[in-house]
Amino acid sequence: MRFVIIGADAAGMSAASRAKRNKPDLNVTVFEQSRDVSYSA
Amino acid sequence: MVRQARVFREKQGIDLKTGHRVEALDLEEKGGKGSTLEGEDFEFTYDKLLIATGSRANMPDLPGVHLPGVFAVKSLEDGRRIKKFLVEGPVKKAVIIGMGYIALEMCEGLRSRGIEVGMVKPGPVFIPWMHRELAQVVLEELETKGVAVYPGHEIKYIEGGKEGLKVVCADMELDGGTVFLGVGVSPCSELAEKAGLELGPSQSVAVDRFLMTSDRDIYAAGDCADAYHLVTGKKTWIPLALRANRAGWAAADNVIGGKVALRGVAGTAVFKVFDVQVARTGLSVKEAEDAGYEPAEAVIQSRSRAHGHPGSTGIRVQILGDRKTGRLLGAQMVGKEGVAHRINAAAVALQAKMTVEEFSQSDLAYAPPFGPTWDPLLTAANQVLKRM
Repeated sequence: MRFVIIGADAAGMSAASRAKRNKPDLNVTVFEQSRDVSYSA
Repeated sequence: MVRQARVFREKQGIDLKTGHRVEALDLEEKGGKGSTLEGEDFEFTYDKLLIATGSRANMPDLPGVHLPGVFAVKSLEDGRRIKKFLVEGPVKKAVIIGMGYIALEMCEGLRSRGIEVGMVKPGPVFIPWMHRELAQVVLEELETKGVAVYPGHEIKYIEGGKEGLKVVCADMELDGGTVFLGVGVSPCSELAEKAGLELGPSQSVAVDRFLMTSDRDIYAAGDCADAYHLVTGKKTWIPLALRANRAGWAAADNVIGGKVALRGVAGTAVFKVFDVQVARTGLSVKEAEDAGYEPAEAVIQSRSRAHGHPGSTGIRVQILGDRKTGRLLGAQMVGKEGVAHRINAAAVALQAKMTVEEFSQSDLAYAPPFGPTWDPLLTAANQVLKRM
């Protein structure tokens, strides 16, 4: 299954990390428009 | 905290693509497209999608907001640019437009660099959601620390001035080497809106308790999405960090087959203005009236430590209860210590839907270094009970 996330800040990276941790074979892609990620998560 | 993108890629196996802006979604085809910072187009498909596009700083509709030296305060990149500008100036005076918590938090950083600060906004009331007696404590702290506060001045435009820039109001002018815009945030919901997803309060993306949008394969979480209010049970938009993290977790759990429902938010918030802690949870008087309650209010003054204990400072508490149902509706607090975490007792009571009477019987902690025998929240609850 392909899980796509738009936005790599608190909500997006919390979701990406959690989904991958609990289902390691999940295909997780995150698109982030800026160069920075997750500065408040 | 910033975590490097490669940590997510290498240690967690997450395919993180920075510099990729998604511009359109196709709900029927379950896909989307966008472009990179290098100008290349890309496309993707999904089985499940999470929209976590966040919020952006509001830009007031004023001539001059795009002049060099005028900054919104939102992203890490904004912070880097501001720091560079302050040092290179060097900036001696700053003007802040707006008096919300981001604007208030800016003051301390600027004053610690020896920069003079003036704050201005068109609305006449300083921190309008707060009881006047509590707001006065915050105002006096700002003035003690050398911040000039000018509520109630209609702002006309920003232009060049003797310090570099000048904020021109209908009845006064403020000079500064830089101007900060702290006039709130809005959800980045355009992508969801264009795709035809339902929107909620303040144009945020509408989600149910499972974080699902109006499309069953698309979730939304964080500052871009709405939430249920724990007190009113109605949809609200209060974008704060804990909710964003928690909603991200819940959305992930639900994407991989779980069934996690979130209860909602109480609007619990805390911030620091120099040496004063400011905290709130639940509804203000106006919010309570707008939601159809009949609020009874009490404001008390208590202490951060037992009477006579060295270092004891004042704490002011406002508590709100509903005359019709007896229910606790909200609490606000200011003081130099013992405020930030004390508010959490009231936040939990709101979630438990306690009456003020039930809350007033809570067995709260006491030892002389940490508060009076009757915790300030209990004293306030006892007072508001008499008015209900």
